[in-house]
Amino acid sequence: MYCVETADLVHRYTNDESVLNGINLQVPEGCIYGFLGPNGAGKTTTLRLLLGLLRKQKGSISIFGKDFEAQRVDILRSVGSLVESPSLYEHLTATENLALLQKVYQCPKNNIHHVLGLVGLSNTGNKNSGRFSLGMKQRLGIAMALLHTPSLVFLDEPTNGLDPNGIIEIRELLRTLNRNNGITIIVSSHVLSEVEKVVTHLGIIAKGRLVFQGELEELKRRQLQVLSVSLCVSDIAKTLQIVSQLYPKAHSHGGRVILPAISGEAIAMINRSLIIQGVDVCEIEVVKNDLEKIFMNLVS
Amino acid sequence: MNLPFTNSFQSEWLKSRRSLSSWLVVVGGLFTPSIVIIARLVRREKLHEIYAAEGFWTLLWKNSWESMAIFFLPMGAVLATSLITQIEYKNNAWKQVHALPMSTATIFFSKFAVILLLLVQFLVLFNLGIYLSAVIPYLLVAGVPYPRAPIPFGSFLNEDGMFFIDCLPIVALQYLISLRFRNFLVPVGVGFVIWVGALAALSWRYNFLVPYTYCMVDFLKDSSGGKVAIPDINLHAIAIGYFLLFTVAGYWLFAAKKEKG
Repeated sequence: MYCVETADLVHRYTNDESVLNGINLQVPEGCIYGFLGPNGAGKTTTLRLLLGLLRKQKGSISIFGKDFEAQRVDILRSVGSLVESPSLYEHLTATENLALLQKVYQCPKNNIHHVLGLVGLSNTGNKNSGRFSLGMKQRLGIAMALLHTPSLVFLDEPTNGLDPNGIIEIRELLRTLNRNNGITIIVSSHVLSEVEKVVTHLGIIAKGRLVFQGELEELKRRQLQVLSVSLCVSDIAKTLQIVSQLYPKAHSHGGRVILPAISGEAIAMINRSLIIQGVDVCEIEVVKNDLEKIFMNLVS
Repeated sequence: MNLPFTNSFQSEWLKSRRSLSSWLVVVGGLFTPSIVIIARLVRREKLHEIYAAEGFWTLLWKNSWESMAIFFLPMGAVLATSLITQIEYKNNAWKQVHALPMSTATIFFSKFAVILLLLVQFLVLFNLGIYLSAVIPYLLVAGVPYPRAPIPFGSFLNEDGMFFIDCLPIVALQYLISLRFRNFLVPVGVGFVIWVGALAALSWRYNFLVPYTYCMVDFLKDSSGGKVAIPDINLHAIAIGYFLLFTVAGYWLFAAKKEKG
């Protein structure tokens, strides 16, 4: 069973253009799901639909196996969220901000101190949250999402405004929550490198369409694919003459000879024949996919 | 009582802590009594005569309510209502509120209940202020007697209740408008314009059609000298009617919003 599942989710703000074009999200229970896409791809719109902040126009949303529309209040009892910027009451302290949510969720009061400790805000005392730094506000927003120990958490760009140390701490926190408490976490971001260190699953959205969905490992397997072989040689023309008999697509680029993706044995054979025919080989580079490139290819 | 409503109400009440609306209630409720105290201390030579009068409490009550019924209560209701909803807009918190496990009705009515409670708090503070405006000059100025006349609690409470009812349409309409518009100036501007319209309509025989006139007409009905048209109908009943109408319309518009937060 999927923790979150959408079918053919479509949304348009005006009559002109669809922001979401049939999103079929499948988030397995207990995973950390990275929801990636460039700015304006439809990430926040999807999250807002999943939380009921936007009225659904077409498609279906199911969370914990229940229809979201029919059982919204019941489902939201087990959902925590941080969408866009944190919603803090700036005239109140961190504890007061959490206390007013504690009243609604009716969770133990001890949770307030627990989550403040988790995000490193235990010592903010009587300081109003309006006087917090951007990073502290973000941490408090995360604490608010975790207060009632939800089973599912939506975090929209959670590391916004955090310094490198803070980013590492929050990553570690998400891992711990996922591992120890089995919380399913959906993290949205527009930066792959930010989420690839923590997620187990990925959904990549571009122009309102889900262009990839699956385990991170699957994407990493694509990373291992060889894209091309680049040779640095003493005589480009002669090299091209030799290799083009076997690889007609071989060409020169930037002072190097570029061959299509070939096996290790084939590389060794070409190297041997070049040397035999008096061409010096200075460097052989196997060009592989990297995650960023895969991501960019998918979203462009 | 409905538990989610109670929980949500407590949460909403917490939000109003140290907010501008809660300060407004304190300052607005005690403003007129403070002016009365200062005026009496400045003109202390007349205090003996004033405090000895039979109708001391009724006169003090009338004097205090004059500015309150015409200006402070209607404008206080306009401002307090707009400021309460502004807490969510200002902190970009509507999205958080709507992502909580509460029905739309609970969200709407718990916030509304907080505004009404603030209005009650406003009246309680004002009543307390009136009492203090009688007692403080007596304590500070030597030779001033404590008013002999008993405090007419029953009639004062009754009038408080009527003024509260008179305010309900203002609160309901302001709530409706301030839930629709993010910009604070819209509800306050509309409220101010209707208040000015209400002042202008006082002498009109159909002034009861303007929902912001009831506090004014209620106060001026015995002492206007013919400048205010006193309708031959039950103003409080019309106030309750308008209140219900605006509340239902406000809830319908709130629930029908396509984008929440």
